[in-house]
Amino acid sequence: MAEPRKIRMTVNGQAREGWAEPRRLLADFLREDLGLTGTHIGCEHGICGACTVLLNGEAARSCLMLAVQADGAELMTIEGLARGGVLHPLQEAFWEHHGLQCGFCTPGMLMAAYDFLRVNPDPTEEEIREALSAVLCRCTGYQGIVRAVKAAADRMRSAP
Amino acid sequence: MKPPPFDYYAPASAAEALELLGRYGADARLLAGGQSLVPLLNFRLSAPAVIIDLNRATDLAYIKEETGRVRLGAMTRQRAIEFSPLVKSRLPLLAEATRWVGHLPTRTRGTVGGSLAHSDPAAEYPAVATALDAELVVRGPAGERVVPAAEFFLGLMTTALQPGEMLVEVRLPALASNSGWAFEEFSRRHGDFAIVGIAAMVTTERDRCRSARLAACGAGPVAVRLRGAEEILEQGGLGDLNINAAAARAAELVDPSADLHASVEYRRHLVHVLTRRALKRALERARGGGAAPLRS
Amino acid sequence: MATGDGKLVGARMRRVEDRRFLTGRGTYVADYLPARTLHAAFLRAEHAHAKILAIDAAAARASAGVVAVVTGAEMAPLARAMVAASTMPGYKVTPIPALAAGIVRYVGEALAAVVAESRYLAEDALERIGVEYEPLEAVTDASAALAADAPLVHEEAGSNLLVTREFACGSFDPPPPADLVIKERFRFHRHAAIAIEPRGCLAEYNPGSGELTLHSSTQCPGLVRSALALHLDLPEHLVRVVAADVGGGFGAKSSTYPEEVAVAALARMLERPVRWVSDRREDLLTTSQGWDEIIDAELRVNHDGTIVALSADVIGDIGAYSVYPWTAVIEPIQVVSFMPGPYRVPNYRARARAVATNKAPTGPYRGVGRPPAAFAMEGLIDRAARRLGIDPVELRMRNFVRAEEFPYKTATGIVWDRAGFIECMKKTCEALDYPAARAEQERMRAAGRLIGIGFGSYAELTGIGSATPAAPGMRVPAGTEAATIRVDPSGTVSAIFGVASHGQGLETALGQVVADELEVPLEDVRVRFGDTAFTPYGTGSYASRGAVLGGGAAILAGRVIRDKTRRIAAHLLETEPAALEAGGGELWVRGGAGRRIKLRDIAQAAYAGAKRLPRGMEPGLEATVFYDPYYGTATPATHAVMLEVDRETCAVRILRYVVADDCGRVINPLIVDGQIEGGVAQGVGGALLEEIRYDEAGQLLTGSLMDYLVPGAPELPNVETHHLEAESQVTLGGFRGAGESGTIGAPAAIANGIADALAPLGLEPAELPLTPERIFQLCARSGVYRLATGLA
Repeated sequence: MAEPRKIRMTVNGQAREGWAEPRRLLADFLREDLGLTGTHIGCEHGICGACTVLLNGEAARSCLMLAVQADGAELMTIEGLARGGVLHPLQEAFWEHHGLQCGFCTPGMLMAAYDFLRVNPDPTEEEIREALSAVLCRCTGYQGIVRAVKAAADRMRSAP
Repeated sequence: MKPPPFDYYAPASAAEALELLGRYGADARLLAGGQSLVPLLNFRLSAPAVIIDLNRATDLAYIKEETGRVRLGAMTRQRAIEFSPLVKSRLPLLAEATRWVGHLPTRTRGTVGGSLAHSDPAAEYPAVATALDAELVVRGPAGERVVPAAEFFLGLMTTALQPGEMLVEVRLPALASNSGWAFEEFSRRHGDFAIVGIAAMVTTERDRCRSARLAACGAGPVAVRLRGAEEILEQGGLGDLNINAAAARAAELVDPSADLHASVEYRRHLVHVLTRRALKRALERARGGGAAPLRS
Repeated sequence: MATGDGKLVGARMRRVEDRRFLTGRGTYVADYLPARTLHAAFLRAEHAHAKILAIDAAAARASAGVVAVVTGAEMAPLARAMVAASTMPGYKVTPIPALAAGIVRYVGEALAAVVAESRYLAEDALERIGVEYEPLEAVTDASAALAADAPLVHEEAGSNLLVTREFACGSFDPPPPADLVIKERFRFHRHAAIAIEPRGCLAEYNPGSGELTLHSSTQCPGLVRSALALHLDLPEHLVRVVAADVGGGFGAKSSTYPEEVAVAALARMLERPVRWVSDRREDLLTTSQGWDEIIDAELRVNHDGTIVALSADVIGDIGAYSVYPWTAVIEPIQVVSFMPGPYRVPNYRARARAVATNKAPTGPYRGVGRPPAAFAMEGLIDRAARRLGIDPVELRMRNFVRAEEFPYKTATGIVWDRAGFIECMKKTCEALDYPAARAEQERMRAAGRLIGIGFGSYAELTGIGSATPAAPGMRVPAGTEAATIRVDPSGTVSAIFGVASHGQGLETALGQVVADELEVPLEDVRVRFGDTAFTPYGTGSYASRGAVLGGGAAILAGRVIRDKTRRIAAHLLETEPAALEAGGGELWVRGGAGRRIKLRDIAQAAYAGAKRLPRGMEPGLEATVFYDPYYGTATPATHAVMLEVDRETCAVRILRYVVADDCGRVINPLIVDGQIEGGVAQGVGGALLEEIRYDEAGQLLTGSLMDYLVPGAPELPNVETHHLEAESQVTLGGFRGAGESGTIGAPAAIANGIADALAPLGLEPAELPLTPERIFQLCARSGVYRLATGLA
């Protein structure tokens, strides 16, 4: 039962499939088998959060999941956040408020923030900081990120 | 940091999982939320021949209320607990502790049963289970047995689970009237395992303390019940001086060990500080002080 | 977006590189996976110091998917060991093999490589390699390593003391008389850079052309290229190094690492692409670390607060090897070079010793030597202020180099050009409302809270040119950079640099400079770097040099293009260059209605050749110009923090954080603020959370991000940043470097803030990081707590 098996999932709205050994991490499957290299790997033990994706609409570490566990699931990765070339309000806000420097944590940060704003659409700064503790950024000191998440929350609440 | 090879099974029910567990015995590891086991696999600190993945055993994920208690299926996600109105009203101590368990994206996958069965000495859930005298329902080849929390957590990452057995449910007593609760934790960063955590529940009867429940994590090889401190409160009441005496007693009752982040003395000291803080906040809630701040 | 005068330099513009990062379309080294790629994994030493008696790789070679297993002995003929050279007297070299052979000197050192069809299979094979070690006594403490009978990390060196540097300025025989002598031993523990993208590289070798390409997550593609040519015996023009997007570096990706040499050698040997992407465990074990110094310091001051003399004796634990090419000299010696800081220090005596131990090498890390230097110097100043009863701000003001004293040559020979040393302090105090902050502190103290206010003032030398080596005695040509500016026939501009970006936003910042020089809109400029095949020769980005050297080169090359453009335009419009005005990618004759020409048309004329050009003019519209700022320029700053020490848990909470710096002419305030905020974050981490720890046997105890604590969002403050913008008179464009600044001031300010908070208890900590455990121990030892039974 350690042999590769066929895995089917919906990623960013598209049906995708591939073969993977059971031990293959979801992060590796997304990056190397499906070519979605926007999901980054930074620690492979669940601390840095760079690999965070949305699993059935909820943020999860793709380095702590086996690809086989996501068989049949619906995933969203950073590549699916902008629609038709239009950036998501979070992406716009990160751009405007300098919520990124090297860009490596950014995909995970955006996925975690996306999930967080769905469960808490009107957060305080303290709540934003607590939520962002899920992803480590080494460049920004988080200041621009916190501002960006607040600004995106405000904009998303006011938008229909 | 890639997992070693293993055979993999994803049973669709607890019964199938038990059958597989019976077949592969000590060669198998159960995979619950994976937030502790997968890092161990990635570091190759664990190399089981067989992984039995419980994530498709949907019959193990539920939150049910019964008279006086709440039953949680072992595969109930921490995230489901966090957002459950039932847990919020009936198990507020568990709800509060959940905010300290990792981060939202790890709670998406992490489960209550995984956390309890892993029995990390610094984990929050074993402390809550210990404080509340949880009942852990264990199923094995010989059927089902109910293990009280006091007998479940045996030692460093060791539980009363026997080969071939798995944790299927945890039962926690629902909040009694005139009760207040608090989970206090000190960690180096938000979301890290506790340096020390204190779970507290007090039930008052007019000015008396009818019962007090206290347990600590991060202060010994397993979550530890602080019965001697509880007795001080039950006998002497919930005045400031007595709370301090109970906190001081709590610091004597624990048997912490030193690690990278904290010495034995510092952990003891934190048990004292956090027990006092937890009791004060729990008392405030028991007296109907309204929504006390979550973090002091 | 542009500033009032229409210029882009100075404008707060969002970054041009961000769109690809925000949409997951960056191209980091691990994102590149050509066909037939093989995956390498390294077998890493389990012992800190051991002889390798035998390696049994037979089972690994037979393991599924394995293409090759190469041991250190087998690698030796393929790749020369790297020797970081220095002209410093008495310096001892420590050759770094691509793979260790015969002996390992720290836990994690690579001694064999497995190359397989996947990383999973390569790791499987690693477990099947048997190594017979003969453990040797390890030395993990730098002071102990200096003992005569200490085990030698490098037998051939004959000593663990790799270099000593002494400075003396003024008279110390006898020491100059002073009213007060402050002595302290400061200890700053080991730090790790933790770029969120771990190191990694992918090598491709074309046996037909003999060309080697290394894609690497490096700050310094130019240096890596030279290193590969040298150590693989390849002509340098057949080596290409590509650093596309780099996920943070902070100095730790400025060295050339043995894995880069090994992976290149493996690709050449196997004639297939070979990739190695470090995992976090490898990163914590092997990426060069920072600091780890003991500083015995003495400050002599008079009653009025005047500094009379300073002395410092620094022991730097540099780990097992002298990093390539910077050498072991760089960190500890920079501590003593910069210890006098922004102050007038008439008498200075210092010694720094770089000592080898059986730990991972230290190397350049954001701030290099100056965070520990500022920690010690600023700690001494605050101690003096407390003893003398002088306000710490006032004491600093009395000793800063004054405006009329610039250029000021320090006791160690560094020349400070005119910069806002005093003004930074004034601005910080104003932003903090210092008197009000002190009053609030008094009120909170009266309520029993431990509140502290701490300052950290410093000056760093940025944008250094050829007069100042990046590390004393180092032989790398680090003083110059070039820009190539090319206007193509469509009128769009490529600006190509040897400096490279690993998150600093140089695509935007240098684009702003180029666009201003060429008088074109920013979207017409594409800044490119990070590929030695098309960039002019350069070394890379480190030492806060990107904006100064890259910006200066951009100005020089831009001027050439602009002059030529005007001469062509004047020719085509039949006027004089002086009669032309420009903007928005067009030129026109001043007052001459309708007579205008687009840059596109000028470029087409330039490429059309002599027919359309002024007589004798060379065709084309491209220029490469080198820039050498020679000395470099000062970047001073003052940081101030107000913080609270929880008297029960001993945790530190930052209440306010203010920075005023002088980073010269600001190219893009958004980017510079981000550099300061991010730098402060790393300094706060170093002051409160982060510490690399080894046990006595040299085993790394902080081998995961659960143990090595990088600060998260809740642990960091909002930083209020102010820029004085005193344009440097000694650099083109007036730019000063800003990349490292934030990290230098934060540890000093926080250490002083904590000392101020604990002053009512009579405690004066001198060790960083000040973890809750350390503060608890200080309190416990002083009797503030009666352990476990009650609180004071």
